[in-house]
Amino acid sequence: MAATKFDAIVVGSGMTGGWAAKELTEKGLHTLVLEAGRPIVPEKDYVEHVAPWEMPFRGMRDRKKLLQDQPIQSLCYACEETNAQFFVKDTEHPYTTEPGKPFRWIRGRQVGGRSILWGRQSYRWSDLDFTANLREGIAVDWPIRYADLAPWYDYVEDFIGISGEALGLAQLPDGKFLPPMAMNCAELAVKQAMAKHFGGERVLTIGRVAVLTETHRGRAACHYCGPCHRGCITLSYFSSVNATLPAAEKTGRLTLRPFSTVDSLIFDSNTRRISGVRVIDSQTKAALEFQAPLIFLCASTLESARILLNSTSPGFPSGLANSSGELGHNLMDHIKGGGAKGILPGQENRRSFGNRPNIAYVPRFRNVKEKQAGFLRGYGLQGEADQEGWDRGAISPAFGADFKNAISRPGHWQFTFSGYGECLPNHNNFVEIDKNTVDAWGIPSLKIHCAFGANELAIRKDMAIASAEMLAAAGAISIQPFQDDDPPGFSVHEMGTARMGRDPKTSVLNAWNQAHDIKNLFITDGSCMTSSGCVNPSLTYMALTARACDYAVDQLKRGEL
Amino acid sequence: MDRRKVLKLLLASSGLTAMPAEWVAAFRSVHAGLGSASAPRILTPRQDATVGAMAELILPQTDTPGAKAVRVNEFIDHIVADWYSDQDRVRFLAGLADVDARTQSLFKKDFVDASAEQQSEILRALGEEMAQAREALATAPRGYRGADPEPDDNFYFMFRQLTLTGYFTSEAGFTQQLREEIIPGRFDGCIPFEARTPSKSS
Repeated sequence: MAATKFDAIVVGSGMTGGWAAKELTEKGLHTLVLEAGRPIVPEKDYVEHVAPWEMPFRGMRDRKKLLQDQPIQSLCYACEETNAQFFVKDTEHPYTTEPGKPFRWIRGRQVGGRSILWGRQSYRWSDLDFTANLREGIAVDWPIRYADLAPWYDYVEDFIGISGEALGLAQLPDGKFLPPMAMNCAELAVKQAMAKHFGGERVLTIGRVAVLTETHRGRAACHYCGPCHRGCITLSYFSSVNATLPAAEKTGRLTLRPFSTVDSLIFDSNTRRISGVRVIDSQTKAALEFQAPLIFLCASTLESARILLNSTSPGFPSGLANSSGELGHNLMDHIKGGGAKGILPGQENRRSFGNRPNIAYVPRFRNVKEKQAGFLRGYGLQGEADQEGWDRGAISPAFGADFKNAISRPGHWQFTFSGYGECLPNHNNFVEIDKNTVDAWGIPSLKIHCAFGANELAIRKDMAIASAEMLAAAGAISIQPFQDDDPPGFSVHEMGTARMGRDPKTSVLNAWNQAHDIKNLFITDGSCMTSSGCVNPSLTYMALTARACDYAVDQLKRGEL
Repeated sequence: MDRRKVLKLLLASSGLTAMPAEWVAAFRSVHAGLGSASAPRILTPRQDATVGAMAELILPQTDTPGAKAVRVNEFIDHIVADWYSDQDRVRFLAGLADVDARTQSLFKKDFVDASAEQQSEILRALGEEMAQAREALATAPRGYRGADPEPDDNFYFMFRQLTLTGYFTSEAGFTQQLREEIIPGRFDGCIPFEARTPSKSS
């Protein structure tokens, strides 16, 4: 019979579960990782080199099938013809929302979770972010500051490998970077124009991205095929499957159990500890139970909240570790949808070569030195620049040999800025268990109540204005600002449902991601976030996870858990 | 060469400047399996011939294959049968019938039997109408991320979208006409157009 007792159990094998697995096993703990989805074998499952002519719909995706099985998942840009199997079937994973308040919950259930699919942009937080709630009297103060996390950013960056450019900006601390990727013609032009017009306040840099530009810790440099979200046989971008899980495996102390859907955690009211994890075998639907003295919940912001809200007992009638009443609340996602696009005349006889899996980036410049009228906090802008391709020929009335050759050459350079903006924590944005809806395994689903507020909408509007200003400064023509009504969830940066804080009465987790109420429970996925910042969050989740593991193992060895 | 060997080589190498075509083939071997020529599912032989003739006129054989050689007609049949909504399918087939009706009214024959010059005249007329349809959208609301409104219900626009997609995503269109590569092996940010590497494809 397979073992049911371990030194530690990690729920989830994605971005943070992979880190917890690596850290805990490397520190000597026999660790069970429970993953609800299927195993992933890179050589079999990765599909990044499938050519368009090998796809039945030539990249246009199986529209009717997606509409039937994955109507929500297929709204995500990364859900393509070859990799839709890395996203859940919406039919098996229902959730509900209020009328008029849509939330897009993008999910990946497989070993590696969404770390296979992520956008790989990796930025540090700064004290501008960690002190924001305190300065503005919003929600609760973070129990940590940049100095607490800086060494852990160093630590995870050293393992992951992040390419990028050091800028010396206080609001976006530099990291340990591999050589930056090159900019293309349009990006170089916009960068120069911005340097000239914005006096260093707004700068364009190459994205800081978890893709290797040189061999790093046994993983090969990027070969610039482009679609990282389909996998990477050379392991050149960071994911659990590509890096942390193999490191954990190497210790000989990892037990990875796919097809293990966690139903709930078992609370022992005598010891006031988690005594076990209830699991439903995803394939057989058999009920199983596993025990360990240390539990890391890394199932993702919404799944971790769901597991805890589904784990009720006389001691915790409204959800485990929820004496504060904040569990499931303060759901945030970066607001996006604001930006501008334009055409940059010139350089039509130049091009780039290769498919760089990275964008250009404008670090936050609002509310950094001077207070901005109209909204609190700020946003970063992603810049996407490329040349018009053959698809511009569809609307042309021309045809014949000359037409064929003309549209086979790249056309004008086009540049699009689009923002990710900070979302304020709000108790009224929350999830609860919807007792009338269960998933394919009979586990009650979430009802999500979430909408952006006035501050977020003001940020979105400013993204469009500032983007158009920068394009104008760069001499762009046909400038089109836009403000699309992208609903929350669509940035796939959802966070905040079990926030960290100093006071057990107003927060779920302490400064070490340890539940205030239950000493042997640690939650290190996005649910721990006390505010949202405006940068892509995965790097911060990973640093918090490694830090929490270090603390937890120390406490375990001291007999404090 | 199998994928394991390729992987080992890749892990051993850094700063690749090019990747042999053979490696690309090894990576893709498990995913290959595009079927050979198949009978149309929804288009009649006559419609199929019309589609093929129109597509070849738009993207003819030059020093690289044209639309017919890469079987754009099969792709179009597939999309009309399995991808289009019922409404779009009806619209597309009606547009195709209209092409023959126009040729009949002008030249007393079906499109496929008309001369190249006569066929071109039909396409020019369709192109003018498409341009007018686009013109009529000048004040229409823009799409996601400020996208230009397009005459999505204009048959000729639909046809051109499918023709271009089918051609440039075909192996010959991608590797010979565009000279793109699945695994470029490096990234150059800003180089003269002519400085690109020659195609390594067959």
